[in-house]
Amino acid sequence: MTDKDRSIEYILDHGLVKPKTAREQARDILRTFGFKFIFWDMAFSLIFAAITIVVVLAVFVAVPENYRYSATVAVAPLLYLLVSVFTETEERASGLYELKQTCRYTTRQITAFRTACYSVAGAGYTAVVAWMGARGALEFMTMYPLGLLALFTCAVPQLTLTRYARHRWANALYAAVWVFVNLALPLRLGENWEKTLAGIPAAVSLGIAVAGAAISAYQIKKMLTEVQAYARA
Amino acid sequence: MLALNNVTKNYGKFTALENINLEFSGGVYALLAPNGAGKTTLIKMLTTLIFPTKGEILWNGDEIVKLDASYRDSIGYLPQDFGYYKNHSPREFLLYMSAMKCMDRAAAKRRTEELIEVVGLSDVRDKKMRKFSGGMIQRVGIAQAMLNDPKILILDEPTAGLDPKERVRFRNLISSLSKDRIVILSTHIVSDIETIAGSVIMFKDHKLLTNDAPTAICGTLAGKVYETDDISAITAPYLALTEHQDGGRTITRFASERDCSNVAVSAAPNLEDVFLYVYRDEAV
Repeated sequence: MTDKDRSIEYILDHGLVKPKTAREQARDILRTFGFKFIFWDMAFSLIFAAITIVVVLAVFVAVPENYRYSATVAVAPLLYLLVSVFTETEERASGLYELKQTCRYTTRQITAFRTACYSVAGAGYTAVVAWMGARGALEFMTMYPLGLLALFTCAVPQLTLTRYARHRWANALYAAVWVFVNLALPLRLGENWEKTLAGIPAAVSLGIAVAGAAISAYQIKKMLTEVQAYARA
Repeated sequence: MLALNNVTKNYGKFTALENINLEFSGGVYALLAPNGAGKTTLIKMLTTLIFPTKGEILWNGDEIVKLDASYRDSIGYLPQDFGYYKNHSPREFLLYMSAMKCMDRAAAKRRTEELIEVVGLSDVRDKKMRKFSGGMIQRVGIAQAMLNDPKILILDEPTAGLDPKERVRFRNLISSLSKDRIVILSTHIVSDIETIAGSVIMFKDHKLLTNDAPTAICGTLAGKVYETDDISAITAPYLALTEHQDGGRTITRFASERDCSNVAVSAAPNLEDVFLYVYRDEAV
């Protein structure tokens, strides 16, 4: 029997069931669990991430004038990165990951919902960072797209890793690499790095950020809808 | 009915299970094999955590992959390394797991209270699990697996790390929960299943070796198991199984293909004998 025949047989047996869209899945997850159970036992990760962010912002405001762009690029993705990495690592290390993967809404689907929330929060936080780093509204218009570019450049590999890598420390390792690269680049290239970033036109930054956001949204959508992919990995 | 048809699972070039055909219709099924024989791989396939490389797994005639969430609604699962939230009480944890299983809130509360009673954790229902013993944690584990009143209850090494008293308690609990459902229990501890399993499934060299009632499996060694206090007197080739002390004498239990009734006492084989005999070449 071919796949097509099987599909026809299945439809004849069960009727034509329209698969849920990512938006419907997300809505149903929120309706079923509420924020309380979606973020259950994530308090330590969220508090730890919040404390780190406060410390980072305190350092950020003291960054020398000629490193503002480098600092913005380094700091903008941190909220998203830290929160998603801490919560995902905690989730995977808890020992309940596989158990929850056997429930109606799987851990990956809930992770995808959380990640969507972190992305929105990350975009808001990036605006705050850009506002703090910019000297005036005009520069904000350049710095915010640059911050978004950094945010989604960081998010795309992280999401891909979350989607495909099953190792519990995969996300933590990625965060370490990201932070290392963002410290190493300004230290190694100095003002050249700053000039390169400052020279990127806002439209280019925005274009790349939008593309990154689209890829991130696609990854989140896939995690919300393709339940079986985890088992095939 | 749950059926595996020609199921093979490969991890790269390594074949964990090869061409497995099994049917589960009701009662307790024990997967008995040494560590690394493929028990956990089979359990992960039955819980949709991994998919077979070849073959299909059917639940009431439909592939579990296609049934997706509706199949997952039918199963209760206790993993080998059961993680739990240390800072929560059994009641909180069970309510959380009920939400994960999409249970109605009122039904979840009712079921949680009911299961806390069943597993004997009423006195500690609101205590944090941080200080719970291994046995208590496993009881929370079995309670969470039973929350949705599953048609298929899958337990991966549920008695590992439990003391003998807890193991007996756990066995009785599983036995009482096995009515009207399929219970699939993976273990390498023979005493766990001797009394409660209706069928014992054994794997050897990553293939299905046997799937039969414990008495029938023991019957395969009938007339081949002996006991003696002077093993040196046995000249026929034999496999030493176990030893025990009796009135200051060391009694050796052994299996031999040849008749040794003239120098040793014939003994009724048990599952442990079969296990040691079948897996004699493997590290157990």
